[in-house]
Amino acid sequence: MKRSLSALLALAVMLASVAPAAAETTLEKIARTGTLTIGTRTGSPPFAYVNKQNEWVGFSIDLVDQLVLSAVSTKVGKPVKLEKKESTPATRIPLLSSGAVDLIAGTMTDTRPRRDSADFSLTFFVTGAQFMVKKGSPIRGIQDIAGKRVGAQQGSTNARIIRERVPSAQLREFPDQPSAFQALAQGQVDTYTNDGIQLAGLRTKAPNPGEWDIVGDFYSYEPYGMAMRKGDSDFRAAVNNGLMEGIDSGKFFEIYEKWFGPRGELPYPMTPDIKKFMIYQSVPK
Amino acid sequence: MQYQFDWSVLWRGQSRDWLLQGLLTTLEISALAWLLALALGVLSGALRTVPLRPLRALAIFYVEFFRNVPLLVWMFFWYFGVPPLLPRPVQEWLFNHGAEFWAGMLALGVYHGARFSEVIRAGIQSIPKTQFEAAASTGLTVAQAYRLIIIPIALRLIVPPLTNESLNLLKNSSIALTISVAELTFQTRQIETYTAKAIEALTAGTLIYLILCLGIAAAMARVERRFAIPGLIARPTRAEH
Repeated sequence: MKRSLSALLALAVMLASVAPAAAETTLEKIARTGTLTIGTRTGSPPFAYVNKQNEWVGFSIDLVDQLVLSAVSTKVGKPVKLEKKESTPATRIPLLSSGAVDLIAGTMTDTRPRRDSADFSLTFFVTGAQFMVKKGSPIRGIQDIAGKRVGAQQGSTNARIIRERVPSAQLREFPDQPSAFQALAQGQVDTYTNDGIQLAGLRTKAPNPGEWDIVGDFYSYEPYGMAMRKGDSDFRAAVNNGLMEGIDSGKFFEIYEKWFGPRGELPYPMTPDIKKFMIYQSVPK
Repeated sequence: MQYQFDWSVLWRGQSRDWLLQGLLTTLEISALAWLLALALGVLSGALRTVPLRPLRALAIFYVEFFRNVPLLVWMFFWYFGVPPLLPRPVQEWLFNHGAEFWAGMLALGVYHGARFSEVIRAGIQSIPKTQFEAAASTGLTVAQAYRLIIIPIALRLIVPPLTNESLNLLKNSSIALTISVAELTFQTRQIETYTAKAIEALTAGTLIYLILCLGIAAAMARVERRFAIPGLIARPTRAEH
């Protein structure tokens, strides 16, 4: 009896992870439950994190809350509430495909291989990889890292580009930001590379921000998008409509200003080029 | 919506190289750590049975110190804690020659050595003194008594829990990814992040660990059979082909 029960349970888990609600689209699910469930981060300020007041906030969360949610509500024809679940780079795709979350809103770069497994929204943030070094380091960019020990975040697109473009660099990949930064501070690595925005965040939180330089031109293009289950184009259209409405009305730029403006959580001004790119992403009504 | 399986990501492009390299690193770090753990385990396990108090105390200190702190902490200790204590040129040399691998190996070996030690002590101490006296009375020298009587009996008791510990050691080698050792788990996660094929990458990792562990268990079972008391451990009645 016990055996057949556990076998049944195993089967249920397998089915749940492979073919969730095979007959139901995401919009139907949202209409049924009245809830849009997003997978987001708890420690990626200012995109998504838990603040000092113990509230779960951030730029990515605001975009969903203020722009996407209303578009989805309109589409399903009734008010929808937002629910947040933690998702990490390792769990976000499984969470999506199992149906545990409907949308990943964090710091996920939209890439072509990832598009094989998930669909992406419009790009909502643009950054690129740079290097963080101790003040006075001879490293000024990707041209200087041959033979050097370079720290990177494990599985990041940056690591792959370094491996391809500068194979002689000694790459060390760390699973999280704190251990990578520790390795840089102690000299295990000569420089640490990550998306410019992440480095800026890291420097702000460092004990002595003045000790660190962020150097080099962007050597990669990292467009952040929201990911959702593949092949659900009605839902994706609703998410994109929400973002486009926000870009058209200027609300999107207000939210950007709130988090990345001069008085925001992490000052990271939007360049005119990127502003233009955001505006061009919105197709005509 | 249905999840689209694509098993070919595992042997397409870079993934195959990553898997092979990860497997190799896992085997390397585990084998070296296992040898170190065995040496430390035998030494401290034996020391705990000798009548000299300071030596016993030393062995007890080693065992209690190392088995009671999480392995992850030891990894960080050897990687982040120890190098700053070394002179600058030594540090530089280490960082350029795979410091993370050696730190991971030491952490694994020293941690599991403490656990091996208890297994070995239990084996040796379970042999009654009379067994040794009986061996001596038949005219065997001390060395012969150990080689022919004591060790074979002790091994019967040591091998099964040692198998357990060896499997744990192999599985725990995955913790080395936190200090950037590119072992098997690291590489399966690498495949997952680059291809977003989580189920495929995780399945590959699971199967490889399973095969490695079953292989080790089978090898240890052979050792176990070799030292078995005839009739006490069931042997297969006929060869299985």
